[in-house]
Amino acid sequence: MSIQHHPLDELLTAFAAGTLDLGQHVAVATHLTQCARCRDATQLMEHVGGAVLASLPPTPMSGDALTRVQARLREPIAYETPREEPGSGALDDIPGLPAFVRRYSAAPWKWIAPGVRLRPIQLPAVSGTRVFLLKSRPNTRMLEHTHTGMEMTCVLTGCFSHEAGHYGPGDFDLGDDSMRHNVMVGPAEDCICLVAMHGALRMAGFIGHLIQPFVRL
Amino acid sequence: MTAPDGQSAADSGDWARLIEAIALHQDRAAFAALFEHFAPLVKTLMRRSGVAESSADELAQETLLLVWRKAALFDPSIAGAAAWIFTIARNLRIDAHRRGQRGGVTEISGIDAEFHVDESPGPETRVAAAQAENRVRSALAALSEEQRRVMELSFYEEKAHGEIARILRIPLGTVKSRSRLAMNKLRNLLGEFS
Ligand SMILES: [Zn+2]
Repeated sequence: MSIQHHPLDELLTAFAAGTLDLGQHVAVATHLTQCARCRDATQLMEHVGGAVLASLPPTPMSGDALTRVQARLREPIAYETPREEPGSGALDDIPGLPAFVRRYSAAPWKWIAPGVRLRPIQLPAVSGTRVFLLKSRPNTRMLEHTHTGMEMTCVLTGCFSHEAGHYGPGDFDLGDDSMRHNVMVGPAEDCICLVAMHGALRMAGFIGHLIQPFVRL
Repeated sequence: MTAPDGQSAADSGDWARLIEAIALHQDRAAFAALFEHFAPLVKTLMRRSGVAESSADELAQETLLLVWRKAALFDPSIAGAAAWIFTIARNLRIDAHRRGQRGGVTEISGIDAEFHVDESPGPETRVAAAQAENRVRSALAALSEEQRRVMELSFYEEKAHGEIARILRIPLGTVKSRSRLAMNKLRNLLGEFS
């Protein structure tokens, strides 16, 4: 099935500009791994970055800058192409993740509600955004919740739908601080999503209130 | 600033040839020319991204040092010289930012990996990058002054729309609509490429 829901252009621009925080970067990268259209768009934005760079007024470098760098040109090359580090292997069973995310470690799945499990992913740098996998059984009605910041969701397997449409593998959903109603998981298989959440999560209703302490990551 | 052949920097192909000269025979004169042109531009980019003066100078030096070291990886069919140098500078800035944070343990090859999201085996629907840079430049020139300004600001450090609105002293809604319009125009360009 083809991808229907893409990140906003602003988000793709911020990705190419390198101004997303790591958690949000991970969510957009997960979509890009599966979407050639958005990969092309971020590549275009890197060209725009080049054009912006080329059009900037120059700032004079310190007097000896060139000499100092020239003195280092013979140094053995410290740069290495990205290594294929094995990582923890914790995420090997999850399809659809970018290679660099598969090298991260992850906590075990934890139960958060009937039919719903959550698995935090440990980011290697400070991020204001928490990243976790959310696995829901077929036909689960996902918990209604609000959040204080931006929430990005990218579907890895299975599907869900809510008032804004149907979301399958690769689809990207951006939630703002409004509440999602009637999020239903599809009937065929488990739905696993990668979620990047900025700010605090608030469960709605009585059940949500009970679950709240477990959801803090 | 003038290009090595004495013309304006409009033709990015000249810069690409200099990077290839480094890759092929460690051409130090080519490196000096690239340094003189790009290091001051990268320094401005760093300064506008909120990096302090001394660090901006150092990061610009590091960027050009990586241009030397990675020259063999430069593929002019994927990115023009300026876009390639932009991505090196971007990744170095992210790396420096993380090092500045407590607990940030990354290295530049790790940041490179974070932007490597294309795992398809062969060349696929790539933006035809050979002339892309010059075309993107003319597309940017075709934007209105305000649209271009909003576009440019999104390439500096974490300028959320609210902050851009404050800098330009225009309402937030205006920033959003200008940003959307600018993006649409550039998207149309993308359509021409593919
Ligand atoms: Zn997409």
